[in-house]
Amino acid sequence: MPAMNAPADLHPPRPDAREVADLVTRLTADYGERALTSRAVRDQHSHGEGLADAGLPDVVVFPHNDDEVAAIVRLCHAARVPVIAFGVGTSLEGHVAALYGGVSVDLSQMNRVLEVNAEDLDCRVQAGVLREQLNAELKGTGLFFPIDPGANATIGGMAATRASGTNAVRYGTMRENVLGLTVVTADGRIIRTGGRARKSSAGYDLTRLFVGAEGTLGIITEIQLRLYGVPEAISAGVCQFATLEGAVQTVILAMQHGIPVARIELLDDVQMDACIRYSKLEGFEAKATLFFEFHGSDAGVAEQAAQMQAITAEFGGSAFEWATKPEDRTRLWKARHAAYYAAKAMSPGKDVFATDACVPISRLADCVLETKADADATGLVAPIVGHVGDGNFHLCVLFDPDDPGERARAEGLARRISLRAIAMGGTCTGEHGIGVHKLEALVAEHGEAVDLMRTIKRALDPRNIMNPGKTVPL
Amino acid sequence: MWNNRLSGGSAAPTIAIYSMLDPAVHSELASILPASALLTSAEETRPYECDGLTMYRELPAAVAIPENEAQLVEVLRRCHGAGVPVVARGAGTSLSGGALPDKRGVLVAMAKFRNIVAIDPLAQTAVVQPGVTNLAISVAAAPFGLYYAPDPSSQIACTIGGNVGENAGGVHCLKYGLTVHNVRRVRGVLITGEIVEFGGDSLDSPGYDLLALVHGSEGLLAVTTEVTVKLTPKPQTAQVALAAFDDIGAAGAAVAAVIAAGIVPAGLELMDRKATRAVEEFVHAGYPLDAAAVLLVETDGTPEEVATDMAEITRVFAATGATGIRVSKDERERLLLWSGRKAAFPAIGRITPDYYCIDGTIPRRALAQVLLRIEELSEEYKLRCANVFHAGDGNLHPLILYDANVADESKRAEAFGAAILELCIEVGGTITGEHGVGVEKLPQMCVQFRPAELECFLAVKAAFDAKALLNPGKGVPTLSRCAEFGKMHVHHGKLPHPELPRF
Repeated sequence: MPAMNAPADLHPPRPDAREVADLVTRLTADYGERALTSRAVRDQHSHGEGLADAGLPDVVVFPHNDDEVAAIVRLCHAARVPVIAFGVGTSLEGHVAALYGGVSVDLSQMNRVLEVNAEDLDCRVQAGVLREQLNAELKGTGLFFPIDPGANATIGGMAATRASGTNAVRYGTMRENVLGLTVVTADGRIIRTGGRARKSSAGYDLTRLFVGAEGTLGIITEIQLRLYGVPEAISAGVCQFATLEGAVQTVILAMQHGIPVARIELLDDVQMDACIRYSKLEGFEAKATLFFEFHGSDAGVAEQAAQMQAITAEFGGSAFEWATKPEDRTRLWKARHAAYYAAKAMSPGKDVFATDACVPISRLADCVLETKADADATGLVAPIVGHVGDGNFHLCVLFDPDDPGERARAEGLARRISLRAIAMGGTCTGEHGIGVHKLEALVAEHGEAVDLMRTIKRALDPRNIMNPGKTVPL
Repeated sequence: MWNNRLSGGSAAPTIAIYSMLDPAVHSELASILPASALLTSAEETRPYECDGLTMYRELPAAVAIPENEAQLVEVLRRCHGAGVPVVARGAGTSLSGGALPDKRGVLVAMAKFRNIVAIDPLAQTAVVQPGVTNLAISVAAAPFGLYYAPDPSSQIACTIGGNVGENAGGVHCLKYGLTVHNVRRVRGVLITGEIVEFGGDSLDSPGYDLLALVHGSEGLLAVTTEVTVKLTPKPQTAQVALAAFDDIGAAGAAVAAVIAAGIVPAGLELMDRKATRAVEEFVHAGYPLDAAAVLLVETDGTPEEVATDMAEITRVFAATGATGIRVSKDERERLLLWSGRKAAFPAIGRITPDYYCIDGTIPRRALAQVLLRIEELSEEYKLRCANVFHAGDGNLHPLILYDANVADESKRAEAFGAAILELCIEVGGTITGEHGVGVEKLPQMCVQFRPAELECFLAVKAAFDAKALLNPGKGVPTLSRCAEFGKMHVHHGKLPHPELPRF
């Protein structure tokens, strides 16, 4: 890899127009109908589910295997043209925008589950496998993959953004659940990191370096994932509170007692109202609400639930509404997963963006309550929802994109939330990643460490072609 | 690499070797540190000449013992400026030569960083300096009903700074994770003297996962000055079961069956007949002597959870052909059953003049196959091999028994070990589960990783330490090097710090 020793080109890549045209010609020749340049396809590949971003790719290619991805990256490397990996476009932070044009590598056709090893509790999948697809294919093995961001994202995208979900308290995030990767490096070589072994102290932890790197160091093409046995017993409960504070204090105490609750989700009164309407939930009020799920043996689940009820009673929680039948549980969690869409449906026509603060659990009450007061003061509709067990919560801020005043208030609120979280020893991005929207916040939070991230980016991608303009400010 | 290898037990040179440190650098360091914290004579630096891998010894040009971060920053900054290598050292319990000094350089001993800075029972974290021992954290957290979960067997001596450097595991990491899973934040100093915070107090930290990079980096990226560890609520109760098998393959299959049954035991260890016999003679824990292999499995949690898990575990063991199962009835019996496992290495040391300890990890389902293959290799190389290891993780520690005084036994033992490591790689495993690469396993790195992968490692190293001054010559081999396999040699059962439990 002689390129790694070459002096890094630090300027934003402005690929030569002729080079780009030649590259597009070459890719269309090599990939035929799997290399598309129509405006509609390029537009679709320019943004995720968050706000629309400027930046159309010049061409979208749909590779079928690692070798094709490597070949595409090699061409881009030679021509110094940006490469942006694309899954299904559910990112909220503009990860997939082609800020400097270039090639969007759509991995959705690399969607095979390659192997499932029940005895080792792991599996290997291609990057384009969807999380719901994986769990459907695991049905019958007695195993499941727990990480569940709201969207039905690809496993590759989830790894690249270090996604989390509603049950991170018990199962961790992608950081804990990716055992190994196949990655195409910036010069188009295929490497494997980590592996089947549960622990290894050989070499640096490249697996975790690529997990969360948002495609800026290489393209993840295969993922070795940790799987879990489907618990013997699962029960889900809903508890409503007179005050938001009561709900948050319940979470804090539950975590301190070490109750191994699998999921614990907070919805404030506004979000609960939205979910009741959008998902037609019956028997609930528009109040601060906690959704719980307990996993384990029959005895273990009963014990956890009893402990939890003792705590909720202390903070003015209602009696639990139980959902033990799988279909009732599914309906409940579907409602939770649809929270973003429910919030959006409150004011059709308005734009929405999601904040992503995460604070140490001991500061959660302060952060949530101050933020709620702050949001109320702006006069904007901004429901709160969060996987509060790990200190992470989101506001879906609704605003009229054509009203500059409203936009400014929304942006101000988002900025204050980030700074508040950082001031409390937390982070501005618990799980959505940096993308383009949070580059400044990263610098505020990490200081000197950002210099190191920058140096690593330059060392592994000296030509700055891998998803340029994202994750780490150069 | 081999020119600094001394055969175990040979006499130390008697002539004093004078410091080779550049006088200008020496006077700069002397201006930073008190005289008692800068050692240069051979008599003073001798205690630092090796770590737990005693076959490699080297006197550093100087030993610096900074008292605080400001002094450390200055030491690193001056060494960086002068191009002098620096090796950081905790308690010196590394089994792969991670703390082996560089003869041209300064060994930085972190022994004075021994404070527990803060314990936050609400957030369940502790902020500690790197020289605090692993066990001391749990002792300090105990009044709050908390403990620090990773427990390498040397936990009474090894320090948290070293644990981060090696990403230490332990018997209970199957359930509670390795060091990387139990550390929130590391504060460290780069070779340039720059202070960097890796990770943070909240659960997720944006940007590249530098915190994970520092873990297991074997002191090649930064010198740790403060660590925020996650504390875990103590389980209400724990119980251990000992199961005997008359076939080692069946024991390996039972391990996979327990995990596949959805149980995550707190610990799951395997010992073969050679190991159990040696142990039983030594500690009299009541292990069955006729079994081909025994499994020790621990489950912890609330009494209900423990009872449920234990019932399932005994069911799985019976179904996989266990010939006898003994479940601890009380805490005394639980500790007695574990005592044999903890004493396994010293026990083996009593029955053989020398042994090699191998440290490979394999996917669990290959356990039975690999154990049977090791038995075949044992006959092929005409050397005995005892197995005692973290079976739940698939982390093998085969001990090859030999006598260095018998012609060609050392050679055969090395070849046997190499064959085992190749076997680990062949079934999709790795050449080191928990002891690190250090100087010991550089050659095998070339076997396990392809050039493009090694180049990524080197690029990461260069990003942190462009002049390659921090712990040089360890961890990641340069591309030009690829050669023989090396292993840990233990001569006449003499481990450094023989009082410490190992592995």
